[in-house]
Amino acid sequence: MTRSERVSPRRPVAARGLRPAMWLPLVVMLVVLGAAWTWGAQRFPYLLPPLRGVGATLTGSPAYYLKNAGVTLEEALGGLAIGFVAAFAVGVLISELPVARRAVLPVAVVLNVTPIVAIAPTLVVAFGFGPAPKIVITALICFFPILINTATGLRSVPPQILQVYQSIAASRLEVLAYLRVPSALPFIFAALRIAFPLSVTGAVVAELTAAGSAAGLGTVISNASSMNQLAVVYAAILVLAVMGTLLLLLVTIIERRALRWHDSSAQS
Amino acid sequence: MDGAVRAAAIEVSGVRKAYGEPPSVTVALDDVSLAVAAGSFVSLIGPSGCGKSTLLRLAAGLEAPDHGTVRVHGVAPREAAAAKLIGLVPQSPALLPWLSVLKNVTLPRKVNQGAGKRRARFGDLGAGRPPADPMDLLRRVGLGDVAHKLPAELSGGMAQRAAIVRALGLRPDVLLMDEPFSALDELTRESLQGQLLDLWGELKTTVLFVTHSIAEAVRMSDVVVVMGSPGRVLDSVPIGLPRPRDPGLLGDPRFHGYEDQVRVSLRHAWSATDDA
Repeated sequence: MTRSERVSPRRPVAARGLRPAMWLPLVVMLVVLGAAWTWGAQRFPYLLPPLRGVGATLTGSPAYYLKNAGVTLEEALGGLAIGFVAAFAVGVLISELPVARRAVLPVAVVLNVTPIVAIAPTLVVAFGFGPAPKIVITALICFFPILINTATGLRSVPPQILQVYQSIAASRLEVLAYLRVPSALPFIFAALRIAFPLSVTGAVVAELTAAGSAAGLGTVISNASSMNQLAVVYAAILVLAVMGTLLLLLVTIIERRALRWHDSSAQS
Repeated sequence: MDGAVRAAAIEVSGVRKAYGEPPSVTVALDDVSLAVAAGSFVSLIGPSGCGKSTLLRLAAGLEAPDHGTVRVHGVAPREAAAAKLIGLVPQSPALLPWLSVLKNVTLPRKVNQGAGKRRARFGDLGAGRPPADPMDLLRRVGLGDVAHKLPAELSGGMAQRAAIVRALGLRPDVLLMDEPFSALDELTRESLQGQLLDLWGELKTTVLFVTHSIAEAVRMSDVVVVMGSPGRVLDSVPIGLPRPRDPGLLGDPRFHGYEDQVRVSLRHAWSATDDA
């Protein structure tokens, strides 16, 4: 055996200690933003509420925000789950059957460029004022990015790997389970990183457009702005931002665990 | 059943294969006939685009010929594949990046588990076949220590050895190799040639080996088949060197004699290409 072959060293995981270079830029940025906000709130009191006011309403009635956040989160995750299952199933179908791909893909593209929220009012008529229309809209919005990435990922297996397993007559189901689905995982996680925050957007937009909604942060925003309670509007927006960030963090953590073998997750 | 005359493991007769639609048809193979005796090591050599890889894909059942027949142990390649008679080593290692080396090597056992029964119908095709222990095979080629690592952590030579073990782990009766060492540096290549020869000497499987390297073809083979464009077999050079063939043999005058013989045939292949 020759010495020219050796195991290439694994890229060392950067020791991200609590060095000031890591956190200081963000702190400076937050301070600057806070100062700009405070200045803006004094200059344009009808545009921005004072930060203190936002903090006061949040700390004053946390149960109110948590309850409505829970409603929105349920709609978002429910819609995402339905959208994911549907998109994955259709993705497998169109990657296995070229006929299905030619039939489904153009429709899916048109569906994607159609402003889904525009059908929200009709959905309210059909499904009532509860969470159902919001879940439907969220599912529709999340469907497309997951579908496209799943279909692309399932077809990303290098031809030479496929040939090796073809030469031992692996069945289509075996190729799907052992080769295609694992190959698609990085693509699916990339889609989920888009779809998780998108699901919150979908739920909120649905609440805003579906007149007469009962609960949810979108409804809170809609009611508060009609009563000119700017602090409540921004408190709800802040809660939504935190919710979206936490969801993104959750996907990233799951992705790191599931895709330890994948380079892109080691780099980011 | 055949005592004196050993049946051909791979039989190609009158095969033609073309790609594309008229008027831009590329002929990859034109009336090619070839017989690979069971247990022998046969190399295909020739200029790029002479159809060597196409011939290999036909033997693996990945494609079907336009005319003529391809038989692997007397049956169509697809049937042979269904019985797991075939092991394929592609140009790149083609390992699954999410599985450890050991799991990459053992996955082919998990798929197509009905192959055992189909294979039994072929009877004994040459060698007694105790199941090869994948861990043992990995150790034999120096991969024992990295069996639980991911392919990304291997060098090119190690990954290619894992690909060879993956194919050999099934104890294939026919091993098809498509320029498996072409991406490796010279020394790694020579060491892998030696390891492959050792394993082959033991497993006595039939090997059809596509290569660009004259030295590699002469060192490895019982017969070197020279191909030329468009898709023809030009010459068949039997290599009468003794085995085992150690690296020391590379300096032997007889070795150079065979190299020259193959080189002369290849030159004809090149001039034939120029004429076309």
